[in-house]
Amino acid sequence: MDFYLNLINTIGIHTMLGLSAYLLLQTGQLSLAQAGFFAVGAYTAAILTVIFQWNIIPAVLAAMLLAGFLAFLVGFPALRVKGLMLVVATIAFSEFVRMFFYNLKWRVTRDGEEIGPDGTMGFAEIRYFSDNGWSNLDVTLFLWTFVIIIMVVVWWSDNTRAGAVLRAVGEDELAASSVGINLTIIKVSAMTVGGFIAGLSGGLYAHQVTSLDHHSFTVLLGTFAIAYPILGGLSNVFGTLVAVIFIQGLLVEGLRFIGDWRMILFGLLIVLAMNFKPLGLFDKQTVSMVKRAMRLKT
Amino acid sequence: MLKIKSISKHFGGVKALNGLDLEVEEGVIYGVIGPNGSGKSTLINVICGIFPPNKGDVIFQGQSLSGKPTHQRSKTGIARTFQNIRLFPSLTVWQNLWVARNSVEDINTESRFYRWFGKSNIVKKEIKEMLEFSNLENRADELASSLAFGEQRRLELARAVATKPRILLLDEPAAGMNKDEIRDLDSRIRNLQLQGITIILIEHVMELVMGVTDRIAVLNFGSKIAEGNPQEIQKNEAVQEAYLGYSEDD
Amino acid sequence: MDEFFFEVVEITQSVWDGILFGSTYALIGIGFTLIFGAMGKLNMAYAGAAIAGAYVGLAVSMLFDAPIILVFVASALVSTMMGYLIYQTCFRFIPTHNHLAALMASVGGLFLIDEVIVHATRGSPLNFPAIFEDAYFEMGPFGIRGDLLFVFFIGLVSTVVLLYVLFRTRLGIATRAVAQQDVAAQLCGINVHNTNSITFSIAGLLGGIAGAMTAAAVGVLSPVMILPLTIKGLIVTVIGGLGSIPGAIIAGLFVGGLENLFLYVRGIDERDMYVVALLFIFLVFRPNGLFSKTITRD
Repeated sequence: MDFYLNLINTIGIHTMLGLSAYLLLQTGQLSLAQAGFFAVGAYTAAILTVIFQWNIIPAVLAAMLLAGFLAFLVGFPALRVKGLMLVVATIAFSEFVRMFFYNLKWRVTRDGEEIGPDGTMGFAEIRYFSDNGWSNLDVTLFLWTFVIIIMVVVWWSDNTRAGAVLRAVGEDELAASSVGINLTIIKVSAMTVGGFIAGLSGGLYAHQVTSLDHHSFTVLLGTFAIAYPILGGLSNVFGTLVAVIFIQGLLVEGLRFIGDWRMILFGLLIVLAMNFKPLGLFDKQTVSMVKRAMRLKT
Repeated sequence: MLKIKSISKHFGGVKALNGLDLEVEEGVIYGVIGPNGSGKSTLINVICGIFPPNKGDVIFQGQSLSGKPTHQRSKTGIARTFQNIRLFPSLTVWQNLWVARNSVEDINTESRFYRWFGKSNIVKKEIKEMLEFSNLENRADELASSLAFGEQRRLELARAVATKPRILLLDEPAAGMNKDEIRDLDSRIRNLQLQGITIILIEHVMELVMGVTDRIAVLNFGSKIAEGNPQEIQKNEAVQEAYLGYSEDD
Repeated sequence: MDEFFFEVVEITQSVWDGILFGSTYALIGIGFTLIFGAMGKLNMAYAGAAIAGAYVGLAVSMLFDAPIILVFVASALVSTMMGYLIYQTCFRFIPTHNHLAALMASVGGLFLIDEVIVHATRGSPLNFPAIFEDAYFEMGPFGIRGDLLFVFFIGLVSTVVLLYVLFRTRLGIATRAVAQQDVAAQLCGINVHNTNSITFSIAGLLGGIAGAMTAAAVGVLSPVMILPLTIKGLIVTVIGGLGSIPGAIIAGLFVGGLENLFLYVRGIDERDMYVVALLFIFLVFRPNGLFSKTITRD
């Protein structure tokens, strides 16, 4: 049971991470910075609960705000860097954040015990949930409450004018500005909201795994973050969710059947997927085909 | 309404616009013609703020547009279409208009909240009217990329009109059209004029220009070589020389 | 006063060694920039192929007890083939305008290569033979490491040969033609896919040389080298200007030298943070790099 709860938690966290990149990808900004905002959220929330003894909800919300604010600051210089250069810049940003936390040492002694981030040794003992008597089920429900909220928010965005504006900017900036859309506001907002979401999921992640190590926050995580919406297609929130379930399910469950080869299969899968369905597994054509097929059945 | 004051724009060594002076009065359909490379597209791009001019100024309704970015110019009432259609291909027809429509802050009756939830009846009604005007009502939920060429051009025009402009710049809207489509475009443009929109028509297709415009300016090598009503322009020797390399009297 | 002089000598020595080592970064940078120049895309699997080539070269030398020079040749050849393979699997069939899919596909390729290496070697680092490791020249207070000099020399030769091929052979001209105007090049009878695969192969060759040189200079070969090499390669490419070969060369040497300076001044934990910060400084002041070929691909 615990095993499945863990899997469900991981799916939830990764779905949020994917959705944080989703909005940005819609505006045409290829950002691998989500791992950086995720890390900021994780360490901030953990420091608040561990060192400052905050309650989890304000801690996670504060982490969200800080990550969002950082994203806001990143959003402006990001405007000057186009296309693939933004990929490199955001990779560099995420690496910088990772290395910053790798070097962060903030030890505090409490009740005779040393706690807090310990530089290269990582940040262990994030025990808020166990200290406060939360069961594993409690954690899962708590986490998924946030996931559902975020999914609803992004789904809403997709179905209102906001979503159409985001995608218009992503498709053709010249045409978009010619009909009165302020590119700066839209792109920086997307980056900021992406930062909020990533920070939120990071804060939750930190408490779920109870110990942080800089290895979790590499470029790899950033590429996962954009892989989910790319595979799931940029027109549908559920596409991202399914992509997360598929990938995490494959990686975790696949362990049982193909052992260590699962990561190799994963890489191969991505290469194949991009060649055959470059617009994602759930692009508009596939979705309408499925819809038509379902209509024929009934 | 719109004044082009001694605009010069060069790209490297190429002088696209050279001390151009134009004045477009409110309510007219103003044509701009000239051989290829005479600076017509550059003119639209300068008016819309895509390139700043090297010299000179664009004055719209008495105010200089200098330094204003493109989206702000759109908000002050300048709209345009593109020579090679620039629709949002993965958005539906309805969404293409929707994106352009709410950019204009003139709804005082419905709250922002309603508008952002997509429930604004006023917006729905207006977009429906625009779809009817463009004969695209039954294509509303189709992706813009799946439209036929003529339908795409109509959508592009509708989208520009959706921003509720005071002045509309059309960049070679008749390119690639057959005679029926040109006739249709002619009546649409007149219709827009009746709605109170001033129109600048940049075009090569002479039967459209001569048929629908009130005044025409002729450009060559970035400056104005002639101006007048269609009949005057047709007879103008400088114009003939620019286009044909010789005039009728040669 | 003696202390100060000593410091200056030490720093200069460090920087000098770094510049020599930076020739490997220059080669990687040239590889990235060649591909970007030709297709407007980033090949994220590039450093992976380079290191993989070094592994095969090592395997060859271990199996056949061949002279060291053969190791380097084998590495280069294998990476060349991998470059070709990566083009066919990750770039050839994906529509040109779809940057997202090509990026993800090459990321998938990177995962794949990384995992295969980890699998084959069970994750343990291997010793890599060095050339001229005992050679050491003295010039006053400065020492010149023979192996680094050799690395630099090979880098120089490779670059000269590359430039010759690009500017004096039909193949090279075709490559540059495709890079500048692929449609027009096709109309002139140039087969774009063939030319691109050759570009990738050439880049692969350079990568293999760089990979083998890096391993030789460091003395160790390990899969954990792939990610940092990728990131540094990307940083060098961007600083030099995407698409510019002279830019990549100068940036590579520059980053190599500065990297050692940071190492000397701030130690290994913080060194990479400063390299990344260097990138940010460039992005702020010269977002198009040192020598930009501002390619506006709309």
